[in-house]
Amino acid sequence: MTKGNILKKEKITGEILSKAVQEGSQALSEYESKRIVANANVPVTREVLVHSREEAVSQAARIGFPVVLKGSDPALTHKTEMGMVRVNLKNDQDVARAYDELMDKGIHMEGILVQEMVKGNREFVIGLTRDPQFGPCVMFGIGGIFTEALKDVSFRVAPLTEEDAQEMIYEIKASRLLDAFRGESAVDEKVLVKALVGIGELGMRYDEIAEIDINPLIITEGKPVAVDALVILKTNRA
Amino acid sequence: MEKFFNPKSVVIVGASNSSFNLGSTICNMLKDYLHYTGPVYTVNSKAETVNGCPGFSSVLDLPQTPDMAIIIVAARHVPGIIKDCAKKGIKRIVIESAGFAEDGQNGAAMQREIDEVARENGMRIMGPNCLGTLSTRDKFCSFYGVNPSLVEMNQIFETPGNISYIIQSGGVVVLVMESLYYDLVGINKVVSIGNKSDVDEADLIDYFQKDETEVIGIYLENVADGRKLMEAAQKSRKPILIYKVGRTPEGAMAAMSHTAGMASNDLIFESACKQAGIIRLNSINELHSLPKMFTEMPILKGNRVAMFTNSGAFGSIAADLLVDAGLQMVRLSGQTQDKLKKAGQVFNVKNPVDIGPAPPQTYLDIFEILLGADEVDGLLPLLSVWQTFVIDTLQELLKMCKHYDKPAAIYTPNAVAKSIAIRAKHRIPIFETPEQSVRALSVSHMFCESLRKRGFIGDHEKFENTDNRRIMKGTMEAAL
Repeated sequence: MTKGNILKKEKITGEILSKAVQEGSQALSEYESKRIVANANVPVTREVLVHSREEAVSQAARIGFPVVLKGSDPALTHKTEMGMVRVNLKNDQDVARAYDELMDKGIHMEGILVQEMVKGNREFVIGLTRDPQFGPCVMFGIGGIFTEALKDVSFRVAPLTEEDAQEMIYEIKASRLLDAFRGESAVDEKVLVKALVGIGELGMRYDEIAEIDINPLIITEGKPVAVDALVILKTNRA
Repeated sequence: MEKFFNPKSVVIVGASNSSFNLGSTICNMLKDYLHYTGPVYTVNSKAETVNGCPGFSSVLDLPQTPDMAIIIVAARHVPGIIKDCAKKGIKRIVIESAGFAEDGQNGAAMQREIDEVARENGMRIMGPNCLGTLSTRDKFCSFYGVNPSLVEMNQIFETPGNISYIIQSGGVVVLVMESLYYDLVGINKVVSIGNKSDVDEADLIDYFQKDETEVIGIYLENVADGRKLMEAAQKSRKPILIYKVGRTPEGAMAAMSHTAGMASNDLIFESACKQAGIIRLNSINELHSLPKMFTEMPILKGNRVAMFTNSGAFGSIAADLLVDAGLQMVRLSGQTQDKLKKAGQVFNVKNPVDIGPAPPQTYLDIFEILLGADEVDGLLPLLSVWQTFVIDTLQELLKMCKHYDKPAAIYTPNAVAKSIAIRAKHRIPIFETPEQSVRALSVSHMFCESLRKRGFIGDHEKFENTDNRRIMKGTMEAAL
């Protein structure tokens, strides 16, 4: 990656954060959260924020069916619980109907996210939190709906070396899920390591980020992809 | 910092002749027991002399500026005394009084007031709510209320050792000091840091890099500054063993994310230990049982361990423990097995090596063969002392370990009291249980790994296969 490219990414991250802080937001929308984590080397789903039914349909075709539609807004931190997610949309009609349904909820949104539908059996989580004594810490573990029930996670204090990241990946109890699994190839460890190091750097660089959840991080053909992300801001949390 | 352990003159503020006065116990310790030769002054309301230590009504009246002030008066008087100390130019203060940050808002405010005066005047503060320092080589101790006639105290000062302790609780100090009396390693320095408003564990880790300390043992109730602790530990060439209490309930109530909800102080502390090369202890007893593995033995550079027993059962018991700890039961080479066969009286030439009734020379031959074998990184001798010659052979083993630069974590399957007596009398680093022995090997290996990771030793000194992360994972889990 060129230096210019990195600087450009940092500029975008900085702009998104300062705008959100100025507006007094508690969190970033999924769309903006993903732009930030993507800049920190976490692969994310291909997605577009749309503002009309026509746009939704044409973007869905461009991304390739099936797609997912999600309401996107800083205030929408529990999309699934609020019924703001429609999955497995296989054609134009599905997308158009889903778009209308989401709009009919009457919830304030910055737009609707048209997203590639990622398939995989393994779901992980990457996160960032701030410890009162140790500062920013990165988490890795089993993600998806069982995250909190299983609590199979590991932590490292940021900044992380690549060795730290590697160790924490294999520290979870279910680390076997990282190997080749039920006909799927082994997880690309290098990509995971870069993502964990990147999230640690985000925590070190941007004080305004309080917490991050990247969950689920789905493994598809060995590659991790962030399907949902949430960046929580420090402002207004005193 | 040095003068906190070796002050040439001291004032004890709050020592008097009233009954149950705690300050006077410090005077007694210094004068009667340690035969401290520097001037010891006291400050009390009557300006009375305490056990020959001249008394004054204020530190401002002292005929000289002492190296250190020990303050042991009611908390509300402390801020005023600190200001007097500042005026007098005293740079090191030990505040033993309680009733500060640990005691609510008023106390916390007083502690802040003290910190401010100290900062403005370049003073260093130990405490409040602590015992201060003990240095065996300097024959100095600022602890109050300790009865110096205890034999344990005697032994501690007469045979200085190389372990230094940073301990947040007075009770733990007593436990550790008394326990070491029955062990073969001695103390260099002990610090009780209390609320650590200024001097904290990280400052002391830095300080212990430069003195006779070989192992640093720490008991923590809270971490003052996590990043400062990690930085100090990362730079330490000496092993740091920490027992930390306070496995606080998980997750902050205010957490909005799953990540923050699942983070707990304890999990983060554990991760920080791994990153900084700190060995986290599983029990308070490990503070005194494990250091001898570092002071008396070379470190375990690989994870392949050979066992040698004269009682088959213990081979099986220890084999299970070894595997649980992520260490490896070494597969002895054909060449090594041939040599063992020739040693005679060997029931089993495979690991664990098991012998029947045999003369001393057989023991020595087997030690030599196993330590000399390339495939063996360390030894786990499980040798019942059924004849006194076994003790002699163990003493020879210590020399061989040094020669081959490989450790042995000795366990004698005898009554614990007997093992302890042998250890004390013959100066052999014997562990009291097979669990302790295996744990000693495991932490030794973990320390070696952390030295490698932090660049203190080269990769070539690591023998095992690093590609096998499963083994590494097991090792780390077991060690933590």
